[in-house]
Amino acid sequence: MSRDLDIKVHHLTRVEGHGNIVVNMKDGVLEKAHLSIVEPPRFFEAMMKGRSFREAAIITSRICGICSLGHQMTSLVTTEDALGLEISEQTVLLRKLLVHGATLQSNILHAYFLAAPDFLNVGSVFPLIATHKDVVLRALRMKRLANDIADIVSGRAVHPITPVPGGFSRIPEKAELLEIKRRLLEEGLPDGLATIETMKSLAGAIPQFERETEYISLKHPDEYALYQGDIFSSDTGATPVSNYLDVTNEFVVHHSTSKHAKHHRSSYFVGALARWNNNHAQLGEEALAAAEAMGLKPNCYNPYMNTIAQVVEAVHCILDSVRIIDKLIDRGLKNEKPNQSPTRYGRGVGSNEVPRGILFHDYTYDNKGNIIKANCIIPTGQNLANIDDDMVKLVPELMDKSKEEITLNLEMLVRAYDPCISCSVHMLEVDFIE
Amino acid sequence: MTALTVIGVGSRLRGDDAIGPLVIEALAEQTDSQLELVDAGSDALGILEYFEGRDHVLVVDACRMGCKAGYVEAIDPAQVDLILQKDPLSLHGLGLSEAIKMAKSLNLLPHDLKIIGIEPESIQFNGSLSAPVQRALKMVVNIIHDELNRVKQLVEA
Repeated sequence: MSRDLDIKVHHLTRVEGHGNIVVNMKDGVLEKAHLSIVEPPRFFEAMMKGRSFREAAIITSRICGICSLGHQMTSLVTTEDALGLEISEQTVLLRKLLVHGATLQSNILHAYFLAAPDFLNVGSVFPLIATHKDVVLRALRMKRLANDIADIVSGRAVHPITPVPGGFSRIPEKAELLEIKRRLLEEGLPDGLATIETMKSLAGAIPQFERETEYISLKHPDEYALYQGDIFSSDTGATPVSNYLDVTNEFVVHHSTSKHAKHHRSSYFVGALARWNNNHAQLGEEALAAAEAMGLKPNCYNPYMNTIAQVVEAVHCILDSVRIIDKLIDRGLKNEKPNQSPTRYGRGVGSNEVPRGILFHDYTYDNKGNIIKANCIIPTGQNLANIDDDMVKLVPELMDKSKEEITLNLEMLVRAYDPCISCSVHMLEVDFIE
Repeated sequence: MTALTVIGVGSRLRGDDAIGPLVIEALAEQTDSQLELVDAGSDALGILEYFEGRDHVLVVDACRMGCKAGYVEAIDPAQVDLILQKDPLSLHGLGLSEAIKMAKSLNLLPHDLKIIGIEPESIQFNGSLSAPVQRALKMVVNIIHDELNRVKQLVEA
């Protein structure tokens, strides 16, 4: 079919970054299909240079209101790697609890407020308040529970203050943890199960589109990896986090101020669907049952199913948080002081799975404990090339649809990746050549 | 017992957008048991959690009002149209306007809610507070003290 198509979706925002979808087809030949990112560069290195190891995590947690905890946790493990700071098992458990809270919050917000309006074709979350008030209130209740986990463990929900290099400056009380456990079981679990039912009812509206790609996530020997592990590629297997530059291979494209990434193919996928594809066997039976109920199968190549993988993870985070709290209490909470005595100075690399995918920080410290070099590669940046490759395959498959329908499908595709354009900290200034 | 809740919204890394958190920091130096202070950072949706069970709430944020930089206005959200952010591609589309619109539809708005808006000069990343907004900071702190006194009298009466 020969067809001309010219789609430009421009979005303006007050504070945060934004992306534009550009599709250009002439006489049925696709000339252009990509997500262009237009935001001023962030200069992560300039922001971090000269900062002491005590400040680094606080600064990075302020990069983004949505991803603050992910940056903070990754900053801490990076500093500890660089300075040779050993941390206790209790610190690891408390951090995992924090990561679960942040993952639960972000995944739920994405599923309810960004993806569900797509599946119901209502444009935004606001029409849902009138028609599905109980569902919106459930989403806010789950966000609040996740926030309260962060509040109790980290001192403050959005910009956590007690997690510091080497440990925690304050250890939560046993009674506080037991109260969170009670709410996880009495509030979180029923809400999680109701979320599965809601998503099940919407599953028919999820576009059927498949493109197999390379899936990259962390992998941990003992558990579904969210905090620490090795880098794992569905194409090439495991490699240590210290080799991340061999995986990310960032490159500049003309249509985006954010760098793109590629590894074994022209692009790769990071995020909940990559974690599911690589690590689903390590989930508990409840999370696996949730996946089955919502139609998510192992080796799923439909990017729109990322939202469903996020909901599966939300169930996992609720239940695994209960297990972590039990473990912390069984061990007995110890009033430990953080270990802040460096045993070396130099370079450290850290990585965690944050809600949107694998995140890397890389710092070099001088012998006074101040940063002289810093790098950060965020999940959304790693997904950009994959989104473009999806668009190139998707647009020709939609040729029998109207321009409006094609636009909506492309917007839904971008939203399915749950992008954090605001976090695209690793940017260059690029002159656009059209 | 809390009489007045003040919520600062904004990113400390984005120039004048830091005004919300910085006002909270300035107020924290003078503790008053009847004043509840919240630094919501740039998680605007998080402010909904501080609406419940509160009668008197102030939200402090940098606002584009088309005025001179440093201009301060107490905005009653019921009286104005808050412009929604047109970013349907990411969760960042849920900003302060969206949070307040959502609270309105869900009947979660405190009966006395005002936004103290400060016109920014620049919200460039990694910038510091501009001179006009630095001057506005003191004015905002004074407005909040007056408001606290007014609310205390209301609560006592």
